[in-house]
Amino acid sequence: MADTTFRLRVRYGKTGRLRFLSHLEVVHGLERAARRAGLPYAVTKGFSPHMKISFGPALPVGTAGLGEYLDVWLRSYVASEDALALLVGASADGLAPEAVRYVPDREASLGAILTIAKYDVVLEGGPALPEGLRSSFAAIIAEGVLAVEHKGKQKIFELASTLPKEPVVSTDGGRTTVGLTVRIGERGSLRPEALVTAALTREALDGRIASVTRTELLVEEDGSWRAPL
Amino acid sequence: MSDLWSRVEPLLAGVERPTRYINSEWGARHGDADYRVALVYPDAYEIGMANQALQILYDRFGAIDGVAAERVFVPWTDMADAMRAAAVPLYTLESCTPVSACDLVGITLPYELTYQNILEVLDLAGIPLRAADRAENDPLVIGGGPCAFNPEPMAPFFDAILVGDGEDAAAEIVSAHRLAIASGLSRAETLAALARVPGVYVPALYEPQYEDGVFVGVTASADAPAVVRKRVLADLDTYRSPICTVVPFMDVVHDRAGVEVLRGCARGCRFCQAGMVYRPVRERSADSIVRDATAALQCTGYDEVSLTSLSTADHSQLEDVLRRLSRRLEGTGVTVSLPSLRVDAFNVQVARLLGGGKKTGLTFAPEAGTQRLRNVINKNVTEEDLLRTVTQAFSAGWRRVKLYFMIGLPTETDEDITGIGELVGRVFRAAREVTPPGERGGMRVAVSVSTFVPKAHTPFQWEAQIPLEEVRRRQALLRASMPGKGVDLSYHDSDVSFLEGVLSRGGREVADVIEAAWRGGARFDAWTEEFKPQRWAAAFEETGIDPTTIANRVRRVDETLPWDHISVGVTRAYLRIERDNALAAQTTVDCTFDGCTGCGVCGSSLVANILAGERRG
Repeated sequence: MADTTFRLRVRYGKTGRLRFLSHLEVVHGLERAARRAGLPYAVTKGFSPHMKISFGPALPVGTAGLGEYLDVWLRSYVASEDALALLVGASADGLAPEAVRYVPDREASLGAILTIAKYDVVLEGGPALPEGLRSSFAAIIAEGVLAVEHKGKQKIFELASTLPKEPVVSTDGGRTTVGLTVRIGERGSLRPEALVTAALTREALDGRIASVTRTELLVEEDGSWRAPL
Repeated sequence: MSDLWSRVEPLLAGVERPTRYINSEWGARHGDADYRVALVYPDAYEIGMANQALQILYDRFGAIDGVAAERVFVPWTDMADAMRAAAVPLYTLESCTPVSACDLVGITLPYELTYQNILEVLDLAGIPLRAADRAENDPLVIGGGPCAFNPEPMAPFFDAILVGDGEDAAAEIVSAHRLAIASGLSRAETLAALARVPGVYVPALYEPQYEDGVFVGVTASADAPAVVRKRVLADLDTYRSPICTVVPFMDVVHDRAGVEVLRGCARGCRFCQAGMVYRPVRERSADSIVRDATAALQCTGYDEVSLTSLSTADHSQLEDVLRRLSRRLEGTGVTVSLPSLRVDAFNVQVARLLGGGKKTGLTFAPEAGTQRLRNVINKNVTEEDLLRTVTQAFSAGWRRVKLYFMIGLPTETDEDITGIGELVGRVFRAAREVTPPGERGGMRVAVSVSTFVPKAHTPFQWEAQIPLEEVRRRQALLRASMPGKGVDLSYHDSDVSFLEGVLSRGGREVADVIEAAWRGGARFDAWTEEFKPQRWAAAFEETGIDPTTIANRVRRVDETLPWDHISVGVTRAYLRIERDNALAAQTTVDCTFDGCTGCGVCGSSLVANILAGERRG
């Protein structure tokens, strides 16, 4: 017999020094925060019972996230504003819940529905960098595919599908920001550093990636995008 | 105070596991202070964060008004190289203050093979390695911990070393230092003042004496006690177990909350240094264990709490504690664990209470293969105990057991070695008999064999460690006698045991070897893949010290030993009697179950065993 549970979706940030956490460290950190918060979390059945919790797509070490998601199943209902206050009070700065909402239990997993990711890649470099990047991106996109080497393996990305929007290059003082929108495919997603590095290399541009931040994760449904919360 | 973060941050993109270096964990404490203590664990973050002593001291120092206690671990080699290249000095995690700008640098001495990491820490911090070379404005470098009971090999690198329990001494050391600062004392005067704090050993005030190249003892200066007696916290319940500890993000060893349920062990195993130096036995009460374990889980959010000690199953109220905790934790997925179990204290009831239904491996330490040799080492467990326990466990559904043995124990013969193989065979057959035929394929007996290393302040402190060639011969003999099927045999590296033997019983001359090995690149020697015996061989060669004269030599019982000016309370006379008993294969009882055995610790330290209830043997 299945017990009734309540699926609480949590939006959180991974920022500041804690952007250096690995995905596993984020998972452990947030599970512990949920226990400290005293939330009545559900526990899986079976040989090794553990908290019923599920995470959206992983962020690499060093990449910050402004809107990341997890779902945690509760055994009893806690008003969402109370749940949020409990979580915030039990979380380290830099890995902090920002909003919560209950979602239907029948909804597919976060990993399955979060297929659009937006990134800001900040670069330092010479004055010609923004223009160089623009033309380099245009050339790469015109080719239609991008081959990326990662950990000894080569992956080919079809850019028409992988980049649902063209990269946006903007400048602010000495810094150049590339806004990227990437579709997360079934066989992994294009790392924003890989695309930006390819653009830098292609035109031998004077530029260096200073930081990468995932600013948003979105659900793609019937051709339109929405926030998962 | 300067905050080095802006110089540290750019290095992190290029190193492995940057989580080690970023602070920001839940429970890390930040505050203004006029006195800053760097608490150094001389190994990587993921090892040091599991250390309970560090958590206790973090609490005790942090509780002193105006004092900030901040953690320091050894940067992994990639980060150390990056820091040197960028001229970034070693910093404390909490405030990113240079370690050299702290008032006190407290360094744990957890294990001999971390010694060279202590030099790495001092060097990265820009603090002169040797106490004698430090200037007036350098921090005080104070050691303590398990290896402080023979401090001599590391003595020249420390301004002071605390012997024994640190709970009360922490505040006394800080007040002595603050008073010295306020009075404008020189460094030498400050050290003399520290030497008056009970349990504090100031190496500079003790000069080793030699006659014809043979060590004949130390002369203490007029300001210092001739013998430094270890500190003993009379009652463990004086302080609560650390509750709101720093909770790492990184996967660390022993990644769980811990409550120290008792300190000390009076079983009297003659090879065991911890069993001699941490006497008497002090149990925490059941109420405070349950209270602290529950509070620690709440505050940290861990999913496991470990009830730690040298011999947790001996706690007189363990079953009561486990029942109460498992009732509270039911349905939360949070479990209770024990570090290891004695064969004779195991019962299926306890094991069931622990695992919450999980049947992970069980670990037992018979240590020797024959009853005669177990009597020599006073490991008072019998083969019947072991077989009964294993039968019970496998009947109840366990399928894996791990057994610890040692080779090279005093009086060991080839019969004792082959006896290990035979005993393991009988264990396996006993387990097989009660395991349903369909499940026998999953049965595993893991046998882990280490080489005996004689330690200071034990009845075997005068014994020779067996030479390396002999270790290898006995290992081969053991391998041949071991049943093959279902048994996994593993050895501790014999080169590591040899070095451990040299570093644990050496005198002050060994400091030169440690420094030479570090200069030759030795770092993280406790990590199998980092340990390079040839670096140490080169260091012995360079310093002209023959390590075999330290490790493999039998000492006369009236010989002056390098640690004779350090007292753990157990008398030398008692150790000699215990040695005689060992050689006669006579066993000695445990004074927490039977009468006093006269070890001397209670009288000399004015303390006594504290039991929470009656122990049942």
